Amino acid sequence: MSNSSAGTSSKPRTASSQPSETSSKRKRGVFQKELQHMMYGFEDDPNPLPESVALMEDIVVEYVTELVHKAQDIGSQRGKLSVEDFLYLIRKDSPKLNRCTELLL
Amino acid sequence: MKQSKDPFEAAFEESPPESPTATETEAETQNPTPPPPPPPPPSSFSGVAVVALNPQQPQNQKVKNKDNEEEEEEEDNMDVELAKLPSTGDPHKMAKMQAILSQFTEEQMSRYESFRRAGFQKANMKRLLASITGTQKISVPMTIVVSGIAKMFVGEVVETARIVMKERKESGPIRPCHLREAYRRLKLEGKVFKRSSSRLFR
Repeated sequence: MSNSSAGTSSKPRTASSQPSETSSKRKRGVFQKELQHMMYGFEDDPNPLPESVALMEDIVVEYVTELVHKAQDIGSQRGKLSVEDFLYLIRKDSPKLNRCTELLL
Repeated sequence: MKQSKDPFEAAFEESPPESPTATETEAETQNPTPPPPPPPPPSSFSGVAVVALNPQQPQNQKVKNKDNEEEEEEEDNMDVELAKLPSTGDPHKMAKMQAILSQFTEEQMSRYESFRRAGFQKANMKRLLASITGTQKISVPMTIVVSGIAKMFVGEVVETARIVMKERKESGPIRPCHLREAYRRLKLEGKVFKRSSSRLFR
């Protein structure tokens, strides 16, 4: 009984933790195929659950949206994005920063 | 009496050993047309991490329809030499990696292949960035960087979701509840960007 009540009470909170302002406008399922391979590569099942892949896509799109908005806010030139803005944002996350600098070589 | 050289012989003597045959060179001198450009190398699986492709792979491919492009692209690049890592690393590291890869089981190798090759397609990521920013001027390096960051973020979320599953003593595929909990934890750790103030104009 307590489980079901906890589940219902936690539902609105989880929904609020996943704001999807872009998800309503964009076409869904764009990254589904890539995310399936990616999730399998990162220790999930060979065939991840479709609902998990769909949720992961929403999370990733939300993350990228926030990342871009932050980059626009701290951008050296307002309204003009550059790679340096993204590198500045992830300056404290050394694995990501190292990977990005490696990719840009 | 001085004998004039046959043009065929002259062309044959002038051409270096690796050059095309004499008749071809003679024809080229008569019709000086520029040689056709070399065919572009087959595009990789749009992965963030580059994997060395099989050298026996055919280089020149037919022009594809837009619908079948993605599927054929995957099929073309199915042969992957995972043991061959990018040559930028030091030889000691490469030897170590070779030793590890040789110990892999079939399942581990399959998973490693997915890990290496999976990545967000540049066109889709470019479209997403264009829709977020509202401008069509999205540079290629920016797309590469955002794809790389997003891939690493997916890894963090899945890894944290696995930790959540272990804590709850659950097994099987990752479920949405695990992903939500993982996302919540990453937010608490400050690994997810939160807007400090609400944006007035988008």
